Amino acid sequence: MIQLSNIEKIYHTTTIETIALNHINISINKGEFVAIMGPSGCGKSTLLNIMGLLDAPTGGLITIDDQQVSSLSRKKLALFRNLKLGFIFQSYHLINDLSVIDNVELPLLYRKGISGAERRKRALEALEKVGLSARTKHYPNQLSGGQRQRVAIARAIIGNPEILLADEPTGNLDSAMGEEVMNLMLHLNKTDGTTIVMVTHDEQMAKKTQRIIHFFDGQQVS
Amino acid sequence: MLRKKYYTVLTLLGISLTIMVITVFASFIDQIVSANPPEINRDKTLILDKVSVYKDGKKTDAAPSISFLQKNIQQLQSTESISYFTTREFISFLHGKTTGHALKFTDENFWKITDFEFIEGKAFHLNEVKNGARVAVINEKTKAYFFNDSEALGKTIPIQGLSFTVIGVVKPASPFSKIYSDVYVPYTTDINIQLTDKAVEGTYNALLLAKTDDLRKVRAELRSLMKIKNRVSGADSVKVHAFTALEQFSKSSSFNDDEPEYGKTAIVVGIVLVLFMLIPAISLVNINVTRIGERAEEIGVRKSFGATSGNLVKQLVIENIIITLIGGLIGLGLSVYASQLLVHFVNTFDPLFKMPADSFVISWRVFGFCLFSCLLLGLISGVYPAWKMSRMNVIYALKGGNNL
Repeated sequence: MIQLSNIEKIYHTTTIETIALNHINISINKGEFVAIMGPSGCGKSTLLNIMGLLDAPTGGLITIDDQQVSSLSRKKLALFRNLKLGFIFQSYHLINDLSVIDNVELPLLYRKGISGAERRKRALEALEKVGLSARTKHYPNQLSGGQRQRVAIARAIIGNPEILLADEPTGNLDSAMGEEVMNLMLHLNKTDGTTIVMVTHDEQMAKKTQRIIHFFDGQQVS
Repeated sequence: MLRKKYYTVLTLLGISLTIMVITVFASFIDQIVSANPPEINRDKTLILDKVSVYKDGKKTDAAPSISFLQKNIQQLQSTESISYFTTREFISFLHGKTTGHALKFTDENFWKITDFEFIEGKAFHLNEVKNGARVAVINEKTKAYFFNDSEALGKTIPIQGLSFTVIGVVKPASPFSKIYSDVYVPYTTDINIQLTDKAVEGTYNALLLAKTDDLRKVRAELRSLMKIKNRVSGADSVKVHAFTALEQFSKSSSFNDDEPEYGKTAIVVGIVLVLFMLIPAISLVNINVTRIGERAEEIGVRKSFGATSGNLVKQLVIENIIITLIGGLIGLGLSVYASQLLVHFVNTFDPLFKMPADSFVISWRVFGFCLFSCLLLGLISGVYPAWKMSRMNVIYALKGGNNL
């Protein structure tokens, strides 16, 4: 499903060169739930951003769903993200000016041929999946951390992406809420067969996934 | 927009003040050049207001005398109607107060070429002009001044020591127009009239209403008439200058006083508009860069979920145009007060002549121009910040746009 070959990411400044990712080769299968672990600054979020086509690698090839995506134009990358990928961020990144349902609808705004009514219907379905159908008119700042993250998950899954990329999705939540969010992702992986790649610091959460990839200083260590 | 109140207020203030200035400016020009009532025939009416006399290698420019006009242009074939007029002034003493009034000496054709709305009575006709009848048509403001709310017809007003009977009351013309006056009387009552056969120079103007829209025909006929008639004046040659209101404006605002130069006028008007808009537009660009910069996270989120740069530019520019239109509407409202303030300011310079408070009228044309200016301002001030933001790196945008 996701094939990273020889991925390299180097940050250049006028004086120094920092290697964030050093020749990474990872293969993630369709329907797999993978956790990426490692200390802060080891390059795991950078890797997730590269997998999510939000950042470009300095070198190497990315293949997703048998398509080589490294050389796609900005516009095609945007379309690819919209159709194939869903993101869950540690700090939720909900738009505070939009209601819960409008936040959830957002990915479908950039998909052609979907009417407003259809968007609303699918947003309600997604919110039902995450157990928040009673909060559609609320605004993000009226919700708890766990609820916000569930809204973010609803937004990530509304477009039925094949891959979910989660960057420390439970990082800002207490253990009970974290557990709730983790169970939701496990459910999505199991019932919908969604491929999930999750960056986490939490070993307990990581153990619930099918595979753990360990990172250290920009390199895969296991 | 509502959450960033400071930027919204600042943006609206900038836009509304800019649109206010543009609207007053446009309204002023519209009244000078457009075919607004009562000057519905402006597009095919030439104003002959200058005659150049060439004699012994010297050129003298002046307004023509009425005798010169009557002898030389009366027989024009390409015109439907010709009217002569001159504008003077008279002072009235009422309730211990001195007030100045604009006085126009004219003829019966003046009322055919123009389309004044008569609130009371009627215009003067050929017989009254021929007989030098002391009759007057006054405008609403003058009626209110002399007679308050009571009917004016049949009453008299003192003009230069003589009594004139009011036979009509009209809605006023634009005070910026050549045909504006407080009082209109037959030119035959003008005691200063030049009746000598040889006088070319005088104080009179002529309104020439062309038969067709082709004004070149009238000018060509005028030129050929002048060739024949210049012997009468005793000059080597004589040239008359006849232009429409738009042409008058074009020549007065360009460097050549003889012929209208639309190109130069358009450039001058364009420069004035750009100057009005440039500084606010630059300020708005800066405000927008900051305002949109505060939405970097939102832009990062939208990009993550598939928004292209085009989607974002479109969204941000539309948002900016909406805010510009709101500011424009406020500016339009403010322009009404600003124009009154301007009239008040202008009136302080001359205690005798008072410009009416409703001198600036916002026509549909001005409204359209104002709308166009809003859109232009919205585009100018919105496109660059939107484009800049849309190109922002997603990762940095998600972190709040620290690389701006």
